[in-house]
Amino acid sequence: MKRLLKYLKSYKKECVLGPLFKMFEATLELIVPLVIAAIVDKGIGNESPGFIVKACLFLLLLGAVGLGFSLTAQYFSAKAAVGFVGKLRYALFEKVGTLSYSDIDELGTSTLITRMTQDASKVQSGLNLTLRLLLRSPFVVFGAMIMAFTVDVRSALNFAAVIPLLSIVVFGIMLITMPLYKKAQKGTDKLLGRTRENLSGVRVIRAFRHEDEECDAFKGENDVLTAVQRRVGRISALMNPMTYVLINVAILLLIHTGAIEVKHGNLTQGEVVALYNYMSQILVELIKLANLIISITKAMASASRIADVLDINPTENMGTLTVGKHSDVAVEFKNASLIYSGSSEPSLENITFSAKRGETIGIIGGTGSGKTSLINMIGAFYKATSGEVLVDGIEVSEYSRDALRAKIGVVPQAAVLFNGTIRENMLWGNDGATDEEIAAAVHTAQATDVVESKGGLDAMIEQGGKNLSGGQKQRLTIARALVRRPEILILDDSASALDYATDAALRSAIKDIDGNTTVFIVSQRASSIMHADKIIVLDDGSSVGIGTHEELLSSCPVYREIYATQFSEVQNG
Amino acid sequence: MAKINEKARPGTMKKVLRYIGRYRFLLPISIILALISVSLTLYVPTLIGEAIDLIAYINEPETGSIDRIVGVLLEAGGLILITAVAQWLMSTVNNKISFGVVRDIRNDAFGKIQTLPLSYVDTKAHGDVVSRVINDADQFAEGLLLGFTQLFTGILTIIGTLAFMIYLNWVIAIVVFVLTPLSLFIARFIASRTYSMFKARSEYEGAATAYINEIVTNEKVVKAFSKENDTLEKFAKINSGLEKASLKAIFFSSLTNPTTRFVNSVVYAAVALAGALMAIPAINPGTTVALVSVGELACLLSYANQYTKPFNEISGVLAEFQNSLACASRVFELIEEQPEIPDKEDAAELTDVDGNVELCDVHFSYTPDKPLIEDLSLSVKPGMRVAIVGPTGCGKTTLINLLMRFYDVREGSISVEGKDIRDVSRESLRASYGMVLQDTWLRAGTVKENIAMAKPEATDEEIIAAAKAAHAHSFIKRLKNGYDTVLGEGGEGLSQGQKQLLCITRIMLSLPPMLILDEATSSIDTRTEIRIQKAFLEMMEGRTSFIVAHRLSTVMGADLILVMKDGHIIESGDHKELLAKGGFYYTLYNSQFAH
Repeated sequence: MKRLLKYLKSYKKECVLGPLFKMFEATLELIVPLVIAAIVDKGIGNESPGFIVKACLFLLLLGAVGLGFSLTAQYFSAKAAVGFVGKLRYALFEKVGTLSYSDIDELGTSTLITRMTQDASKVQSGLNLTLRLLLRSPFVVFGAMIMAFTVDVRSALNFAAVIPLLSIVVFGIMLITMPLYKKAQKGTDKLLGRTRENLSGVRVIRAFRHEDEECDAFKGENDVLTAVQRRVGRISALMNPMTYVLINVAILLLIHTGAIEVKHGNLTQGEVVALYNYMSQILVELIKLANLIISITKAMASASRIADVLDINPTENMGTLTVGKHSDVAVEFKNASLIYSGSSEPSLENITFSAKRGETIGIIGGTGSGKTSLINMIGAFYKATSGEVLVDGIEVSEYSRDALRAKIGVVPQAAVLFNGTIRENMLWGNDGATDEEIAAAVHTAQATDVVESKGGLDAMIEQGGKNLSGGQKQRLTIARALVRRPEILILDDSASALDYATDAALRSAIKDIDGNTTVFIVSQRASSIMHADKIIVLDDGSSVGIGTHEELLSSCPVYREIYATQFSEVQNG
Repeated sequence: MAKINEKARPGTMKKVLRYIGRYRFLLPISIILALISVSLTLYVPTLIGEAIDLIAYINEPETGSIDRIVGVLLEAGGLILITAVAQWLMSTVNNKISFGVVRDIRNDAFGKIQTLPLSYVDTKAHGDVVSRVINDADQFAEGLLLGFTQLFTGILTIIGTLAFMIYLNWVIAIVVFVLTPLSLFIARFIASRTYSMFKARSEYEGAATAYINEIVTNEKVVKAFSKENDTLEKFAKINSGLEKASLKAIFFSSLTNPTTRFVNSVVYAAVALAGALMAIPAINPGTTVALVSVGELACLLSYANQYTKPFNEISGVLAEFQNSLACASRVFELIEEQPEIPDKEDAAELTDVDGNVELCDVHFSYTPDKPLIEDLSLSVKPGMRVAIVGPTGCGKTTLINLLMRFYDVREGSISVEGKDIRDVSRESLRASYGMVLQDTWLRAGTVKENIAMAKPEATDEEIIAAAKAAHAHSFIKRLKNGYDTVLGEGGEGLSQGQKQLLCITRIMLSLPPMLILDEATSSIDTRTEIRIQKAFLEMMEGRTSFIVAHRLSTVMGADLILVMKDGHIIESGDHKELLAKGGFYYTLYNSQFAH
């Protein structure tokens, strides 16, 4: 939490001036009852209309100056709150850029997005409110009490008694209801879950004729929620009547003591009126303070969630090397294992193989067998928990982040494109690429017709590539990786949406590009990898076979099984 | 969530009143309590004013007495207690009504979901429906409660205050009455001026959120291309735009409170001036006594303070209430949706199903202008295995929708055991089918609960036997808590293949006479797939089965292959016959299954 304060540093001036002007305004408000007392005692008592007119003009002046103070305060606090949260959002965005794949997995992208949007805006309104009110309300409460003491000590004792009582009531009710509100929120979440489930599972629920059971379950949960809501309502409804009684009884007592003091000549009638006014002011401010504290707690919760993200020590520690050794082995795994954080079982175990420059490596295996984990280790997106992963003869984590990744062109499983023109998307691969280079890459990726059908490189791609089909997106993501002219090209199940003819054409085009590019192809289809120079068969995190198609057919039962389910029936049928 | 300025449909208030009608005994109680608490709240200050006036004469021998003051104070004290009790009871009653009304509306809305035609569920965004049942109902509850407690008492307070002020001093009452609308006017003026600023801010906010969403969701791709800095730069631009727009919007809208407060102080000063001047008999011609006593002045001043408050509150509450009515009208829209055609009154129960299914000249389309299935006729005998193949969008899933009567045919008929399925109860029709869909659906709950959906009374032994038969037992056993493992919504925590195995287990448990199976196209690894295939085969043994097929082995083992294209069955027959034909199936077979 504390470290969030450093983002507030550049708004020191605003953070001081905002509350300060608010306090000036409050001070003026505290003068009002004194003016009224003077009107009663001097104006009415001495029958002096001139004094009354002057006093009332003074009241107006107080109001106008107060307005000025208050506007100044609003400006400063709004500026501090908005600026602070802007810096927070920027810091969060920057932080996310430094997170490693494991960090992202652990946090989840939706959490990160919530931190940057909803939580950030809660902090903004919380801070704004805090700067405006947190000092003002206590100031008015205690100010009113102090003023009361200056008017008459004996009567003011009433204040000293009632303020703690009021605080107990206001904050006590708040403390009791807050956990109940949370409970109500949980109840609502339950209803929400069930409703969503009933929509997504409408066919299954109707097929199993579960409609009535669902309604009954919903009604049960709904009743529970309603009961909680009513209970919270009953308790928080105590706030107004209880404070009303306290403050009014205090006023009655005040008038009683006041009457006695007047009798003894220690107090004037106007001063009694002033004390009465002070008492009324206290109540209003205490209730404001209670509401303020509720929104501050919410903002604090959001702030600490943001701080949690900012406090993460990214696990992506990279070295500084920019060039590797000259070696004809491009990629080498030596007994590499990977255990994801939070998991006890290794996702990859003792993987050993080497890929020579220019070779094509096929990786095949079932879901969850570790294919994607393996290729992610080449770019050090995940680091080996034990063993080594070498690129150009050097352990991957010794390279600088940018140097290592510049060598690699990845086509991820999910075909992701960004909002912008096709050219902008292609430049992700290489900022300096010319249109000719882009066209060549697009051609290799079998995507020339995609670009043409959209109207050229300047055609817009909508967010998430919504205006493209799955196959079109895949081909463009392949082109994007090729624009980089990578030393290592990784295709992670990137041809799944392509038909067999395009898939085959793509593979042969990639083979033609550059004799020095090492290509990794991950696939579930045996047909996509069977022509590779080397095939790695993964099963449950271990490599159960490495070799060519023919070698594996004779030596690796898992490979044979995969191949058989995809091919044998055709041959037999 | 309702949009700003969205209007409730006409008649919404009437519908709300109908729901409130269920609590009609509570309503008069609430109103009486409000009357009591408001009038007493207003009366108490006059007693206090009286007491203050008595203080002035405290030292005069014949009229001044502390006892008289105590008497007045005691009376006030009693009334204060009554007021407080009335206030609390009123809130409690209002609570009961509001939350009760919302509960009833919510139940009705959820019940509606169960009877909505599938076409509604399929075409409407689920998020939107959920937000009607949950968020809109919530907002409505809040608005209703606020409306009950503040709107009503607010109006009563304004009327009451005016009445008391007129009673105390009509000149001052007029002063207050004339000045107060000023604050409303200013508030409205500011609101209308800041509207465009808020619009600008929400546009920037939208842009920032969209960019955050896009980049953070795909952060892994960003990292793979080392684009961390470029994206950060772009974000900084959007972010600073958002900052500027927010500052403007927040600052200018925060002007409302201070300015209305200023208006209040103007009113306050005016009352003080008029009151104090009238309190001096010498300057008021034609009278020798004070027109306003000091106590009355104190009382009038406190009224002046109170009087402007409900005005500000009411304008806020009115907006809130209007917004809540808009929410209510969105919920009502859902509740009033046309339900699916109910079963016929004399609908028969479908019993003793052997598996005779007859489709006769079936026509169907989701939208009238886009015909999908035309003139489809088909006769399926018990135990037959029917495979449906064809390119995506050819109408394969539509056929399932029609068989299960999720949708009704537009023309022609479908009958089971010679009975038109529109003449039998949906319940008995659906009970005759076991269905496994491609998009596996599991609910939040334990594995066991999910399996037992098909047969709630099933014993553990039956469940385990079904799981074994479905080849799911071995993986369930290995889950953290076995059959009692809690799954997240949508079966979170399981792989796609495991989910499908669970869905198959569900059907294994009840084993209805006919099956509808939709094979998964992808994302299942080969070994799980083999298990699923085996489970499918065992299930289909001796049952009429309709399979939307993606695997060659399924297709080849079928008794009848329906080749669908653009809603028509263009070819049918078994594998050999179709291959021999050399038609569409032949081409499809070669492109899709062969390599």
